[in-house]
Amino acid sequence: MNHEPVKAKFVTPASITLALLMILGGIVAVIRYWQGLGAVTNLSDSYPWGLWISVDIMCGVALAAGAFTVAAAVYIFGGEKYHMFVRPAVLTGLLGYVFVGVALLVDLGLPWRIWHPIIMWPEHSVMFEVAWCVMLYMSVLALEFAPAVFERFGWDRIHGLWRRLVPAFSVIVVAFFTYIMSHSVAWAVVVLVVFAVVAAVVPSLFASRPGVPIILVMVGIVLSTMHQSSLGSLFLLMPGKLHALWWTPMLPINFFLSAVAVGFAMVIFEAMLSARFFGRSLEQGPLAGLGRLLCGALWICLAVRIIDVLLRGELGGAFVSGKGFVFLVDVLVGLGLPALILSSARARESMTSLFTAATLAIVGVVFNRLSVALLGMTIPGKVGYFPSIGEFIITIAMVSAVVLLFTLAAKIFPVFTREEQDGFGLPAAAPRAAGNR
Amino acid sequence: MSKACLVDLTKCIACRACQVACKEWNGLEAEHTEFFGAPGGYQNPPALSSKTFTLIRFVEMTDSDGKLKWAFARVGCMHCQDPACASACPVGALSKTAEGAVVYDDTKCFGCRYCMMACPFDVPTFQWESPIPLIRKCTFCADRQGDDAGTTSVNDQPLSEESLARHRDSNRTPACVKACPTGTLKFGERGQLLAEARERMTAEPGKYIDHIYGEQEVGGTSWMYISDVPFDQLGFPTDLGKRSYPSYTSPVMKAIPAVVTGLGLLLSGVYWVANRKAKAGTSAQEDNNQA
Repeated sequence: MNHEPVKAKFVTPASITLALLMILGGIVAVIRYWQGLGAVTNLSDSYPWGLWISVDIMCGVALAAGAFTVAAAVYIFGGEKYHMFVRPAVLTGLLGYVFVGVALLVDLGLPWRIWHPIIMWPEHSVMFEVAWCVMLYMSVLALEFAPAVFERFGWDRIHGLWRRLVPAFSVIVVAFFTYIMSHSVAWAVVVLVVFAVVAAVVPSLFASRPGVPIILVMVGIVLSTMHQSSLGSLFLLMPGKLHALWWTPMLPINFFLSAVAVGFAMVIFEAMLSARFFGRSLEQGPLAGLGRLLCGALWICLAVRIIDVLLRGELGGAFVSGKGFVFLVDVLVGLGLPALILSSARARESMTSLFTAATLAIVGVVFNRLSVALLGMTIPGKVGYFPSIGEFIITIAMVSAVVLLFTLAAKIFPVFTREEQDGFGLPAAAPRAAGNR
Repeated sequence: MSKACLVDLTKCIACRACQVACKEWNGLEAEHTEFFGAPGGYQNPPALSSKTFTLIRFVEMTDSDGKLKWAFARVGCMHCQDPACASACPVGALSKTAEGAVVYDDTKCFGCRYCMMACPFDVPTFQWESPIPLIRKCTFCADRQGDDAGTTSVNDQPLSEESLARHRDSNRTPACVKACPTGTLKFGERGQLLAEARERMTAEPGKYIDHIYGEQEVGGTSWMYISDVPFDQLGFPTDLGKRSYPSYTSPVMKAIPAVVTGLGLLLSGVYWVANRKAKAGTSAQEDNNQA
């Protein structure tokens, strides 16, 4: 696959606006470090987690899911026609994770101790798993994106070295992760052997693609799966506070499934926006295909959510009180509506309705994470919570930073595919992908 | 057996000597407060905070005869047998000691506040106004549990072994318990205190609600309460269940190695099938086997 940097001006009114928003966020951050979290946030002992945790971190991670879902579709499931989406999705994932880290540096009370989970190993803590998944998956994403940097600067020797070292690194990472999460040498050895065998056997059995070593993709998928689901597991400890419409032993699975869905939605959303803002042509075939994958994922999410609530006998709660209303919006507008739109083949081929559905799915997941972390919570005590101006400014600055750095990176590095090469949906170029269209 | 505390709310007169003693022992600042009205209670300060680890809640209620009545309840860390906060902490800053206290290590915490979210009793608090904030809560006077007797001699006469032991015991008693003038708070072995609670309940039938709060809640707590007023009316969470909180997340954490291994095998299998097809050149199935 041939990629090239987007040819566009670096300084535009939009990029200046984004930079100014970042600076504003920086000013608020200085106050936060100088005077403590209480000075800029409305957080309290009743609501210790607010906008930053629920949006910057929980949504940040979910919206970065495109990197692993598309990588899985292309490298594991053989969906070669989606190859053009991989690098933009990996870049989004990488920036998303970097800013999850930045958001943590702002939200943590003692951010200079952010490395503490590296030396303390409480294997019973879900937050410990979350911390390690952030660190390890961020490095996997950086390695997945590295070829774009090597190509840009013509670092062929480093690229060769990377290709030789990455498989071993991947295997060690996943075995090490297993060890610290279980403190079991036996399991670590099992994982080490399984993944080492996969890493050694797969490239020799199949003509491996020149792109990314398959084992790196697999380890990325494994870490993503663990991370997306563990964000849901965090709330398993709050059966008394989180309303039964959301609190279920299925929380980790719900979080994982909705991350898969929103991953596809983000890729569609981004591809359409970058086509518009970078003046690139859009390819309907692969986009409609992604729409179909998104549709399937949304229906699965919806079915699992509804069946789970039904089986636990909590569905009645959906029709009483404000929390019930939040649940209905979460499930019907965030999952049901986009799923319904995308169920029609014509809607998937219409750029407007595809974009609408993808946007709805994204807003839906954001609303879902907000519901679990804030709206669905009943917290005793007199003090309510609504985010302060300072909290909003920081969150806006984070989003601005991701958007600005994405456009800059797309202009510097070969992220998007070459324009003239546009035969993916066509039978001649990719016979496998031509099956049913 | 670990240490515990029995709180007999029928004896509490809301003098708040415990509240003051707690502030003194822990060196906590005073709080500037305003009058705080119902429904949360009339106490002052209104809630636990990083400056208040022990609090007497004032509840105004009507008794069975329709008369006005005051009920009081000590609020603070329950020191769970299997604490949610300790299982939540990603850096091992919170732990349950063999003596029964749930203690916090200032040097480990990085301020994620998951313990505050996880606590079923909403006990841990945070120093919101500080640029170097820490989690604060009742320590069960863990810093008084050592072998220090406070003094070894009186009037230049060394203390006898018996006196030393008495001093040591006295020193180990939490500050709030020592200050309590009515015997509302009693410090001792958990099993003995439970037995005593049952004795008191049988000795005066009808006086107490038939429930020892903390005996079984969230798997049992080191602080236990008996009362003449239903616990929900005192603002205690009564729907927590008997299951220990860490048991909600431990199955998920224990499943990790199996899930990682299974995923590795599954992904390899899918890869093999998808790419074998690619080699054979079959084009029947498209790549929509994804979801």
